[in-house]
Amino acid sequence: MNVLQQVPRNALVWGIICLFALVAPHALRLPFWVLGVYLLAVGWRWQVYRGRWSFPRRKLKLAMIVSSFVGIYFSYGSFIGLEPTVALLLTAFALKFTELAHRQDAYVLIFLGYFVCLTEFLFSQDLLMTFYSLLCVTLLTTTLVALHQPGQHQFNRRTIRLAFVMLLQALPLMVVLFFLFPRIGPLWKMPTNSHTGTTGMSDFMKPGDIASLTQSDEVAFRVKFEGEIPPSSDLYWRGLVMSKLENGAWSTLGLYSVPAKEARPQAVSTTGDPLIYSVIMEPTNQQWLYGLRYAISSTPGVMATSDFRLISPTPVEVEYIYRARSWTGAELEPKLSEWRRKIETKLPPNANPRSRAFALEMRDAVESDAAFMSLVMNKFTTETYVYTLKPGQLLGRDAIDQFLFESRRGFCEHYASAFVFVMRAAGIPARVVAGYQGGEVNPVNKTVIVHQFDAHAWAEVWIKGRGWVRADPTAAVSPTRIEMGLEEAMESEGSFLSEMPLSPVRYRSVALLNELRLRYDALTYGWQSWVVGFDSGQQMQLLHRVFGEISARTFMAAFIGSWALVLIPVAISLFRGKDTFPMSPADKYYRMFCHRLSLIGLKRVSGEAPGDFARRVVAAIPEETEQVWNITSLYARMAYETGADGNRNDQNALEELIRAVSKFKPKAQRNAGGGLHPPV
Amino acid sequence: MSGVKVDINQPIIKTSRGDTSASKNARSLQGLIDGAVFEIGQILLGKEPQIRLALCCLFARGHLLIEDLPGMGKTTLSHALASVLGLSWTRVQFTSDLLPADILGVSIFDAKDSAFTFHPGPVFTQLLLADEINRATPRTQSALLEAMAEGQVTVEGETRPLPQPFFVIATQNPVHQSGTYPLPESQLDRFLMRLELGYPHPKAEREMFQRRHSAAQEIRNPRQCIDPEQLDLIRQAVSQVHASEDLLDYLQRLVARTRQAPEFGVGLSPRGALAVLDCAKTWAAMHNRGHVVPEDVQQVLPAVVSHRLIPSGDYAGDGDGLVDLLLRDVDVVGG
Repeated sequence: MNVLQQVPRNALVWGIICLFALVAPHALRLPFWVLGVYLLAVGWRWQVYRGRWSFPRRKLKLAMIVSSFVGIYFSYGSFIGLEPTVALLLTAFALKFTELAHRQDAYVLIFLGYFVCLTEFLFSQDLLMTFYSLLCVTLLTTTLVALHQPGQHQFNRRTIRLAFVMLLQALPLMVVLFFLFPRIGPLWKMPTNSHTGTTGMSDFMKPGDIASLTQSDEVAFRVKFEGEIPPSSDLYWRGLVMSKLENGAWSTLGLYSVPAKEARPQAVSTTGDPLIYSVIMEPTNQQWLYGLRYAISSTPGVMATSDFRLISPTPVEVEYIYRARSWTGAELEPKLSEWRRKIETKLPPNANPRSRAFALEMRDAVESDAAFMSLVMNKFTTETYVYTLKPGQLLGRDAIDQFLFESRRGFCEHYASAFVFVMRAAGIPARVVAGYQGGEVNPVNKTVIVHQFDAHAWAEVWIKGRGWVRADPTAAVSPTRIEMGLEEAMESEGSFLSEMPLSPVRYRSVALLNELRLRYDALTYGWQSWVVGFDSGQQMQLLHRVFGEISARTFMAAFIGSWALVLIPVAISLFRGKDTFPMSPADKYYRMFCHRLSLIGLKRVSGEAPGDFARRVVAAIPEETEQVWNITSLYARMAYETGADGNRNDQNALEELIRAVSKFKPKAQRNAGGGLHPPV
Repeated sequence: MSGVKVDINQPIIKTSRGDTSASKNARSLQGLIDGAVFEIGQILLGKEPQIRLALCCLFARGHLLIEDLPGMGKTTLSHALASVLGLSWTRVQFTSDLLPADILGVSIFDAKDSAFTFHPGPVFTQLLLADEINRATPRTQSALLEAMAEGQVTVEGETRPLPQPFFVIATQNPVHQSGTYPLPESQLDRFLMRLELGYPHPKAEREMFQRRHSAAQEIRNPRQCIDPEQLDLIRQAVSQVHASEDLLDYLQRLVARTRQAPEFGVGLSPRGALAVLDCAKTWAAMHNRGHVVPEDVQQVLPAVVSHRLIPSGDYAGDGDGLVDLLLRDVDVVGG
């Protein structure tokens, strides 16, 4: 085999590092046997390199391919979908490594590697993952570089430096391409990762659901307001409206159970300035979005429902950005349709008799619905109700009775549920609203971070003349929860994130940790809004801001122009090079040595040969004699002796030269001899 | 040798390793050369650099041109070189009425045999000392051309090879002296080196005076130091000297400068460049090194190129000035 076509040892080692670096982020998602294939492939190839084994035969390769297919089919039950296809790709990637014989095989493998690197983003677009794939790209480029350094019989760490420099040089072009390359809509539909579960709220709520959600410190969404951030007690992020009570659980109206003429929201008259904000949602695999009361969104594709919520037409599978405007004081549905009234007052028959009786009795005692509402609210304030994450068992047909009159311990869903039940029992339209309440203000970038533990449920009551009014019985029981958040509200109980002892959110009281956490969160926000969420719309906005009106022509001009802007300096630097030969490392370090000496007045004349120069230098600074001669003879050996007996020692001599030059720091002598120029 | 510093006594470069593979052999060669230099130095006092360059020229199989005023020791040096190398030599004093036949030889009709017999001229020797070559007419000068370039002469349609080795050591008076015919460039190019001797150092001159009248110190011919076999050995050592890429880069930068810089009328020919390389290799071998360093090039450069460089009309200096420019401005270190 031609030496030039072989894969050098250095490239092989870098290739193995790449292989494992690329599979690592997928490791938890893959069936364990795929990792076995990786170990087998690398082990085999290594034995081939050592000359112990030979490359696998055609029949064996065929068997490995077939068994991989079979394995994947059995592990996932299908070939369709994101995860099985990625697993197939990763297995093929490992198997390809066993037949890495020639340089062209390595090309295939490396370019496939770049593609594999891309697949990580199908599962996560996290900032850390981006850094990690940059590392992977660097490693792949290093392998590519190593492939072109024949005769590297040792693993060489310096190769990565060259690759890194090359990638750094490519960075400006990458930035230009990212911001200006036309965002063409996807030509294909990405398979969805069907195997990951939904997260966050679900569209039905039974007692205990929200309490268990609050055990998670994951971020639900981040919000950036234009202007002042409203106080925490005003931040009721409506996500779901639950109008149906069945078997002790609240649930939303199915999309198709709403009659066609009720499917659109009623017109709302708005007054005053809206709150304007944009939301970046973490993927939930659900369709609903979160917004403050009466939100309309200008983001294309975001739809509004008849109960004034925002929904996305498709499940949110990746980070999703939308903008919204909210009028918190707007009157919602001042006229209630008959159908709606029937739905919103419906109760399951016979359950919770005490509550029903209580409601009817109290309603008779006051004149208006509004007065009744504040009376019931008053009951929560004045009587001893406890707001707790550990309410005990409240199940069965009469759970609400049990909660209201006996245990009196509950979490927000218990209060909201009981409140709405009492309202409906008195014939007043009411419903449960689930979503998030409050949020953590990140002072670093003025965003509101809403965590899963901010999950909350409250009620909406329809009052004649005022439309739907928000009523939060939790606020009556535990004002701390609404104003300060769950952590403070649960301080005495110690149940905040009690199942996550290592969550960084638990250590908010440690200033340094909290600072770090918030800074990283701000970075994530910037990443999501500027990079992940950078779509054709934002691209147009950016161009519009810079160039004004955008036509196809100005777009092309900006695109090509900025490309030229990046490439022209490259071209100039190529032209300006003294000749087409790059400077050899030995010359470079010898020149560095000369430069250091010139700083103390010992300048080498162009035509001065190294030996002559060294003699002059030694005459001027005798205390450096040894170093000067060492460097000079190392350089002379590399420059004028290499090739005389092969360049075997070249690498070592270079390393020695680099070491010697970097240690060499000559000091000017005060009473130096004739070699020094007189001080100016 | 105006303005060019030839600093022979210093070691060029200390290297950390032994140099040539046959370093023992090389050391004996070194002794040989030192002996020759010493022998000649006994006669031509205080001219060691020139002696070494002259030896270098002969080891590199080149012809030598020694140029200086009359009475500077040109002929003495050439005699001494011939003796030290133990070569058969003839001397031709060039004058304005010398004809080519006087050098090459002539066929004379032999009445007894009724045929022409060729009587070889003084050129049929190993070392031809051509004294005051520029006093002869161009016609005679050019008679030497074929002999110097090809090692053969063609007389009356018949080509005759010259003995090997064949060297020409020519001396000439400076061109501006009266009664001279300057050598054409083509002829100058045939000489590998041109040396100038210059006035002796006062100390050397004093010694010369003292020797003149001391009976004990009779002037003797230098003894032979190097026989033809040893000459072959030296040439073999030269052929093994390595010139690295970096060194060739430097050489090319030098050559390129002579072809591009405005001071130069005519740049160095490829033959001139090869001459520099050959001499540098020889110089390295003479200094017991298996590879060429830039100092070698710089030491031989003035002698090898100064007679080949022609200044452009705008430049006031001569060939030596141009060499100074080259040595000063062309960067030794690449990049």
